[in-house]
Amino acid sequence: MAQQPLPSSVQPTDVYGGDEVSAIVLDPGYINTRAGFAGEEMPKQVLPSFYGHITSNRDVFGDQAMYPRADFEIRNYMNRDSVVEDWDAATKIWEHALVNRLGIPRPTPPSKNGLNNKPKPAAEGEDVEMADEADLDETENYEKPMAENPLLMTEAAWNSPKQREKAIEICMENWACPAFWLSKTPVLAAFAAGKATALVLDVGGSNTSVTAIFDGMVLKRSVQRSPVGGVWLSSQIRSLFEASEPKVEVVPTFMVENKKPVEAGQPADARLKTFDFQISPSFRAYEEERVLKEFKESVVEVWRGPGRYLAPGNEDYAKNLPGRVFEMPDGSNQMWREQRFKVAEGMWDDNAAFPGATEEGKITKAQTVPGLIKAALDSIDVDVRPALLANVVVTGSTSLLPGFTDRLNHELTAMFPSVKVKLHAAGLSSERRFGAWIGGSILGSLGTFHQMWISRKEYEENGPGIVEKRCK
Amino acid sequence: MTSRDVHDVLNLPSDHSGAPRPSKKQKTSAPRPNLKGLAREVQNLGGDNPIAIVPEVNFFKKRRFATRKPVAKWELKTFTNSARGDDGALVLRHWKRRTDDGAPPVEGAQDGDGQQQRGGGEGTPASEKREEKPEDSAFAKYNVKVVVPHYTEDQYHSNLQSNDWTKEETDYLLELAKDFDLRWTLIWDRYDFTPKPPGGGGDAANGEDTSTAVVPAPKQRSMEDLKARYYEVAAKMMAVQKPAQYMTRPEFELYEMMQNFDPEQERKRKQFALNTLSRSKDEAREEESLLLEVKRILARTERFNEERRELYNRLDYPATDSDINSFKTSAGLQNLLQTLMSTDKNKKRKSIMPGEGVSPSNNSGVPNSAVSETNPANRRESIAASATSNNHHHHARRDSDARTPATPADPTPTSAAAAAANKKKGGGAQQPERRKLTQQEEQVYGVSYHDRLGSGPTFRYERINKLYSHKSGQQQLRITNALSELDLPPRLVMPTAAVTAQFEVLWGAVTALVDLRKMSDRLDGEIKIEEAKKAERDRAKGIAAEKEGEKEKGEGGGGGGDGAAAAAAGEGEKAGESIGEGGQTKEDGEKKRPGSSGSLTAAGHKRSASVLSAASDKSSKRQKK
Repeated sequence: MAQQPLPSSVQPTDVYGGDEVSAIVLDPGYINTRAGFAGEEMPKQVLPSFYGHITSNRDVFGDQAMYPRADFEIRNYMNRDSVVEDWDAATKIWEHALVNRLGIPRPTPPSKNGLNNKPKPAAEGEDVEMADEADLDETENYEKPMAENPLLMTEAAWNSPKQREKAIEICMENWACPAFWLSKTPVLAAFAAGKATALVLDVGGSNTSVTAIFDGMVLKRSVQRSPVGGVWLSSQIRSLFEASEPKVEVVPTFMVENKKPVEAGQPADARLKTFDFQISPSFRAYEEERVLKEFKESVVEVWRGPGRYLAPGNEDYAKNLPGRVFEMPDGSNQMWREQRFKVAEGMWDDNAAFPGATEEGKITKAQTVPGLIKAALDSIDVDVRPALLANVVVTGSTSLLPGFTDRLNHELTAMFPSVKVKLHAAGLSSERRFGAWIGGSILGSLGTFHQMWISRKEYEENGPGIVEKRCK
Repeated sequence: MTSRDVHDVLNLPSDHSGAPRPSKKQKTSAPRPNLKGLAREVQNLGGDNPIAIVPEVNFFKKRRFATRKPVAKWELKTFTNSARGDDGALVLRHWKRRTDDGAPPVEGAQDGDGQQQRGGGEGTPASEKREEKPEDSAFAKYNVKVVVPHYTEDQYHSNLQSNDWTKEETDYLLELAKDFDLRWTLIWDRYDFTPKPPGGGGDAANGEDTSTAVVPAPKQRSMEDLKARYYEVAAKMMAVQKPAQYMTRPEFELYEMMQNFDPEQERKRKQFALNTLSRSKDEAREEESLLLEVKRILARTERFNEERRELYNRLDYPATDSDINSFKTSAGLQNLLQTLMSTDKNKKRKSIMPGEGVSPSNNSGVPNSAVSETNPANRRESIAASATSNNHHHHARRDSDARTPATPADPTPTSAAAAAANKKKGGGAQQPERRKLTQQEEQVYGVSYHDRLGSGPTFRYERINKLYSHKSGQQQLRITNALSELDLPPRLVMPTAAVTAQFEVLWGAVTALVDLRKMSDRLDGEIKIEEAKKAERDRAKGIAAEKEGEKEKGEGGGGGGDGAAAAAAGEGEKAGESIGEGGQTKEDGEKKRPGSSGSLTAAGHKRSASVLSAASDKSSKRQKK
């Protein structure tokens, strides 16, 4: 919203840079898809990128649709690279988020919005005519739901040109947006931290990426990513459960009908639900993931350093630290002590990672967080490295693990002893979760940004290829 | 109904259980206003705690819009951004406060909105006409572009040919430079030039062509290569557009800077930066500790230098060319020790300030060195002065060699004594700050530096008298004779400082002469004795020879007479010589360094170096005049 003019004594001397044009920011990710209006501080809509597919060819979106039902499976329109895979589903889910959930106001015809109510000397007939016209608009608008809202979308730094063209096509053709822009998530995360030049460490759901941002642009050579993210951490937890004695069974919440409290370490005493239809493995995996997510949030901690967890003495020390009890949905519970450090240690030290059940769970030294940062810095000009290390922006929900930033600080200072290292990790958890969206919200409401939009006219003249030319 | 009734009704334990206290009740009820009816009953409900009565307000809130100012109106206005460069094709809308004069445009905008709704920004020509042109964004002015050199085909061929760079690649580079506003980090990052296969793009589709054509491999360009090429192009194009001699100063500086770009140096610098960056922790620590060590060493040398300077300041006493005779006796050494000790004491109070040679404030120890640099004679004098000031308690010795020259401006002996007293005072507690005077000023103010002075009043002439009385009676007589020969009264008529000093010099010369005379007399006597002995021997021989011939005896007597005459002549010569010498000595006193003149006269007299230096000082002054 435009600001109320301030009295001159209070007015800031510098220019207020905001100029809101009710742009929409859409930030799709592997776990969540975030959507909201530019200029707001949080996304209004955060819905899972997983969606339910009912075999009778119907898709359902949102958390409230995810309950056990027949012929139901869970899918994700993104792949593990955080790149859109299923464009049809993507279009639907985005539309659901933007139109149904965000509730983008249908443009009211100016004759009806009450703003311009003026005693008009004009004849009655003319008014009626105009109303008819407005009705006509209404029906047209229904097909083109976002005709008034420029759309700012985010993408992974490694997105392919083809994907980008597809994105602008959907925006322009399906939704009839007046303008479009595609921005890379690390850039926006840096903007959210107030930096134009930064080294962005994004520890997300399916990926961890390190990207150098210089003057608001991605340095392409620096882009490094690895699967070490939230999903990988879940697989580590599964391995931990497998390895622990006795084995810990993950029973998702929806299967438990009744449970009784049991002593720690005792087998669960619960009655499970039976369903008269088949529960698809994808749904079960999705629900198990929710349990693991809770485990991550409440138990897992990063070994803060100094030194690695495997360094002599550290493990013994960790064993003496107070443990945490975690109760599974079925009532079985257990105290977790040093294991909760060990689970996350693989992010930093490839030797400490649990050997995953599958091959993809295995990571190399270059895929650890320090390895990524090192590789990213090595691939760019030496002159900008100190500036980047002084502005390390940490974002992504997995970075919210307790002790993460402490450990990162230790690792970086150990790696670059002669450079000043400064971390910028938002204290507010929502700012860490929605870093890229917030950056987009800032960017989309900047007065100086409006010259950047790819307008509809430009799209029509140049075709979808224009996104490659403009959004560098 | 009272509060107790209420308590009873509600079955609450009465807080004043037991006997009721009517007296208290009366007390409390006494000040109550006379209430009637229901009001009194209500009041009683409160019991001992009076009920708070809130004043009745019959309006809820003050009306806000007392001024009746109309509500600020906002409108959804369209705007374009001229910085986009698409002639206002993108029309965005934002909320703006409505201005009063904007009534007609609003109507237009309203129509425009309607149009925009329908067509997403496109308007039919008819509505375009009615529509007020949407305002330009206030942020358009922030759009700034860098200026990148342009060249035509011909210019490229005549100026910018390069073995390493094709025109296509140069074009590509300049395009990138423009796109990324000369941010080299980005340009290098995005630089991805794939040369087109020769033969044109159309033929490239042909499979045969691509297989045979040599496709030049894309070159890996370092950032320095890119910069070097760009600067080369930019500098050359600058020179083409405007020859170097017509450039303004900033332009020329830019031109020169671009021309002098040295990629090799830049590469080395980056290599160095890389090494610095990739130091291991131990190396970094080592370097840090080394740096610390260097800092410590530097600090130490600084301190050492400071100490040494202070030591030099302390030790900066008269150089070796001065007369050390005064320190040769044990009393002199004692003096020296005292001087040093008191200087030390002063130093403890007031640390030596560096660069004191220029500062006017001196204490007793320092001016020696300060003065010494300007005038060696002064230096010694001031040392003497300081020695004086610090050694008043050694009055016992002063009589032996202290001969106080009176100040020339103050002929009265009392003033000299007063000065001495002043000095005593100053030296005892704290030397008052003395301004260093130039020689001329000294002359004007009549300032002079003294050897140590006696406590009481003395006459300048006394010194001469003292010397005089030390001589033997014969010498006294001779000196008086010599002086009378020169038409000088034995006692000076007008003994001013200058006259006295001069007289002393003269007196010294006369004494020297008299001494020489004495010496020569003695030598003469010895010669005579030897000759007499010789004559005796000859005579003895002559007795032996007499036996042979008596004739020779007369001759021998004649020879003896000759010898006597010759001796007399020699004596006269010697006297003349010594007189001449005396005159020369006098001259020397004026010209030569005091040390040498002192050594000449030292044979006869015990004169302290300080006195001599005083004399020489005066003589040098006279010379200046």
